Amino acid sequence: MKILAHGLTKDYGNNRAVNGIDLSVDNEVYGLLGPNGSGKTTTVSMLTTLMRPTAGSAVICGHDIATEQSAVRECMSYVPQDMAVDIRMTGRENVDFFARLYGIRDRHERRRRVEDALEIMNLSDRADDLTKGYSGGMRRRLELAQALVHQPEVLFLDEPTVGLDVAARRSIWEYIVNLKNHGVTIFVTTHQMDEAERYCDRVGILKKGDLVNEGVPSDLTSQMKSVITIRTDSHAPLKELPEGVALVRDENGEIMVTSDNGSESLPAMLALLNDEGIKVYSSTVREPTLEDVYLQSVGKMNSDSDGFNQKQFENMMRRR
Amino acid sequence: MYRALAYVRRDIIRWSRAPMNVLSTLAMPCAWLLFMGLVMPVEWDGNYLDYVTPSILVMTVMTAGLSGGSSLMFDKMLGYLNKFLAMPAPRESILAGKIMFITIRGLLQATVILVISILIGATILSPLAYLEMYLILFMFGVFFSSLGTTVALYLGNHDSYAAFQSFVSMPLYFASTALVSYDMMPTWLFWIAKLNPLSYAIDATRAAAAGSFPLMEMSILLVLSVCMVLLCGRKFRKATMK
Repeated sequence: MKILAHGLTKDYGNNRAVNGIDLSVDNEVYGLLGPNGSGKTTTVSMLTTLMRPTAGSAVICGHDIATEQSAVRECMSYVPQDMAVDIRMTGRENVDFFARLYGIRDRHERRRRVEDALEIMNLSDRADDLTKGYSGGMRRRLELAQALVHQPEVLFLDEPTVGLDVAARRSIWEYIVNLKNHGVTIFVTTHQMDEAERYCDRVGILKKGDLVNEGVPSDLTSQMKSVITIRTDSHAPLKELPEGVALVRDENGEIMVTSDNGSESLPAMLALLNDEGIKVYSSTVREPTLEDVYLQSVGKMNSDSDGFNQKQFENMMRRR
Repeated sequence: MYRALAYVRRDIIRWSRAPMNVLSTLAMPCAWLLFMGLVMPVEWDGNYLDYVTPSILVMTVMTAGLSGGSSLMFDKMLGYLNKFLAMPAPRESILAGKIMFITIRGLLQATVILVISILIGATILSPLAYLEMYLILFMFGVFFSSLGTTVALYLGNHDSYAAFQSFVSMPLYFASTALVSYDMMPTWLFWIAKLNPLSYAIDATRAAAAGSFPLMEMSILLVLSVCMVLLCGRKFRKATMK
């Protein structure tokens, strides 16, 4: 295991930011999800030795984060959320600066590693331009190149795609997955559920400092039900339902049901309606996504949505 | 040390690519040198330029030290520091690199002032005298850059630090032997000037220029700068270890 944590806890005064979480991460892309203020960054700060845990322990590449800090830093790289590259330096100078900080003294070795890192991140042709002219995606790639020049075993990324456009997001994730395939353990925090679902091997969901859910995204979503919505010409309530299907709503000819397997239950539903001589106008199946898992795990506890009056909103929309 | 030098190298590259920064930090001491050295003295025994040049050199180093104080704070605000802290390099090398850079920058600026002063008529001194002067300016630079960095880390934001900078530099300068000698001062100013660290540096630089070795002032400067570096290191550790 590259990252192993037991009961990792951090208090800020009386406020518990991280509440005794356990983690074990090997060569994979592990995504830590959670709302703002749920303790993601605090967790990463502890694992990267930027903060001392209040209680509990963690081991990175076999080195304890509390007692062997420099050995921990020797085997990992950390790219924080704020995009910080020196804009008055060229791409190559930025990476070379990090190579020096990582203590690569030999000139040839350093040059080789800098070139390799730039090459991997596809920045070689712009390496001698000032980074002032780089796009957001290029700056992020440069930061990854800075982290890679050190050839880390574990790479910590805090919100790697925040503020980037769709194409740049995808390209960053492709680089990340590629690094994993070359043996780097990736620990990433993100708010982007669709990205986490697509690119993370496993995810953990934090809620107010507790790790409330953890697993392979497809396992997590398969525990959730799909939602089937059917519009019919009948206003009479349904008399029966196929096996494994639960009714959510049946009013004004619109039937909404949930099922463990939507793509199998839909034909069953349609056959049943057909038998009863009810005409079907339209039908949709929505398979559960990681976002549904996430919202269920963290609850709809966002202060923003507390003030939202769903009933009132529906009335308003209906009047249009 | 290798890592600290990497930080120095980075800061020098960044600084040298911003011509406005280089010019603006030189403009003030240049103005002082030209106006005070050439215009002010109406009646003075000997070369007034030779009298003010050491004080303007000290002032240059002080201004550089104070303006460099915000540098580490900016690294912290802009997110560079968190990256640096997660690296295997010893954390002290970040601070050491910063103090070295600010001091070196101050000495480079002082050199420019020195050259200008010679061009407009200051006496050329012996190499030993220059060596002594640079040693004094170096210690003073370390003192003021660590003072600036400590205060900036303590205040934590740029506005307050800019206020501190302007609030501190002028009074310190006027309440020292920069422009007038002790025997021309009123008694109250005499005592303030006697306690002012700027006076030590100026007196020592002047003595060095005059060909003597100001052991007392230099020892005081050494003690002051060592204490300030230690204090700064303590503040830095507190600001970075959570």
